[in-house]
Amino acid sequence: MTETPSPSPLRRIATGISGLDEILHGGLLEGGVYIVQGSPGAGKTILGNEFCFRHTRSGGRAAYVTLLAEMHTRMLQHLRPMSFFNEAVIPGALYYVSAFQILEDSGLQGLIDLLRREIKNHSSTLLIIDGLVAAEESAHSGGEFKKFIHQIQAHASAYDCTVLLLTSGSGGPVRAEHTMVDGVLELEDHLLQFRTERTLQVRKFRGSSFMRGRHPFRITNDGIRLFPRIESTFSDQTRLCVPALGEKLSIGIRGLDEMLGGGLPACSATGIVGASGVGKTTAGLHFLSMCNANEPGLCFGFFETPDALRLKARTLGLPLEESLERGHVELLWQAHKENILDELAYQLLTNIRRRKVKRVFIDGLNGFIESASHPDRIGRFFGALTNELNALNATTVFTMESRDVVGGALQVPVSGISALVQNLIFLRFVEYRSDLLRLVSVGKVRDSDHDPRLREFVITSQGMRVRGVFAGMEAVTSGIAHERPSPGTDPQRSGEGI
Amino acid sequence: MQTILIVDDEFGAVEVVTAALEDEGYRVLSAANGRLGLERLAHNPVDLAIIDYMMPLMDGAQIAQAMRTSPELREIPIIMISAVGETQVRARFNGYQAFLRKPFRIAALLESVRRLLPPA
Repeated sequence: MTETPSPSPLRRIATGISGLDEILHGGLLEGGVYIVQGSPGAGKTILGNEFCFRHTRSGGRAAYVTLLAEMHTRMLQHLRPMSFFNEAVIPGALYYVSAFQILEDSGLQGLIDLLRREIKNHSSTLLIIDGLVAAEESAHSGGEFKKFIHQIQAHASAYDCTVLLLTSGSGGPVRAEHTMVDGVLELEDHLLQFRTERTLQVRKFRGSSFMRGRHPFRITNDGIRLFPRIESTFSDQTRLCVPALGEKLSIGIRGLDEMLGGGLPACSATGIVGASGVGKTTAGLHFLSMCNANEPGLCFGFFETPDALRLKARTLGLPLEESLERGHVELLWQAHKENILDELAYQLLTNIRRRKVKRVFIDGLNGFIESASHPDRIGRFFGALTNELNALNATTVFTMESRDVVGGALQVPVSGISALVQNLIFLRFVEYRSDLLRLVSVGKVRDSDHDPRLREFVITSQGMRVRGVFAGMEAVTSGIAHERPSPGTDPQRSGEGI
Repeated sequence: MQTILIVDDEFGAVEVVTAALEDEGYRVLSAANGRLGLERLAHNPVDLAIIDYMMPLMDGAQIAQAMRTSPELREIPIIMISAVGETQVRARFNGYQAFLRKPFRIAALLESVRRLLPPA
């Protein structure tokens, strides 16, 4: 007797929507029924339509059924500017119908009959039902509505047609249909004081793992662009770079390399902390001045435009312009607006991967921090980001602005951030005899000796130059230095260089 | 009084067109899909049919084709309406007398109706 073959494993159906298939670990499961819920304006209709158009691109056939009085003619007009819209596939591969009247006249059974015929007649492999709430309202009982959902599941499975049920409403008491369907995706539009942020959360996905939690997205002319949370995307600790023992990269500043014990450890993250105007960006430009074809670099900044950086580099005598022309360095500037934290990270990481960047200068960690809609994420976000930078073999320098210009402890902008960077460099202003001097010190260097002493530095037309140890002074870190009281001894300031 | 049948699944479109045609003195029948449209035609004399191309159960091309092969219905003029361009429609069926792309102005529809349906 021939043994009945085992059922084949469920196939995936990619949505083609940017970021969504990553969150779903490959896409939805073929023949499944999924609820997409969200309040009006959350993006359900765009998601459903974009899925249809992208499905037809990969050879699938889709049907979009509206249960609401809204005309699909109007909906198509709104979709036309979208880059995914392709009129040529309508109606051959993508068919739009309204079932509002059928629902009014013949109830849920009439609707089921229509859906079954549409799937069959058009050989649809994807069915979108927009306006599930209308079906629920026409049900005479909760039991009738559950039966309707069950019938949809049965037909979807029988025809290998994946179904999306679009409905308004948001997370709240568990609803019967949520327990029956194969998955629930929730779209939300959060108001955070003055700005808003759209998020998608997979609340349920039977038969598959997925990225949990809320993931931000934008609706653009190219459709929905999801940015899976960095913390949930890059959590693999096994890919971390293990550089050769003692491998270091020059920071490009004579004297500072020596203070660092020979330079920055390869694949490490370094924080340069200091007040506004002390020279953090200058130090970063020096780091990038060491870029070449084998060590391409990237400057990712928020506060100084590419033109301002070019001018600064020229003023310092650094060869940034030449590096840009040769493609050894790229400048990615993010205007200071309502950015999405994860989107920034993906822009950064995409450039690094594409160009195999080895030297990364992130000018202004505060730019990331201010983009965070939920500041409590920052620590975990940076942990994941620095891990991924390390895994990509990038040596990274961050600048972090401290609050006070002069005096007091140098406060980093995020609690715990110093634990996430392997190396710390402090730049500070100190007042001495009516002069405002600049001092540099090294707080820590991973797995390496370093010179912890304070040294003066200057910024000239030849760039940043480290001078001698700032010896014989007291209370330097308070911001106002004075000579150590020692009878008959003049205070010392060592000469040029080390 | 002349009778016009509108066959369209879009409830809103049917309401608007029905009201506009009734204002012009026509009697209007409606159906939400091609199958119901053929039932209307079987039981009511109709002078002109306005048929939507994309519909559930039986689409515009199917009902129009059925009309063209029926001795009783083949002479009824058809205005085909659709949210997609005429090229896609004509590739499947071209036995209609006028085509209007949605969304169309009521004035354009009435002009086509008057042209195809001279006053009784």
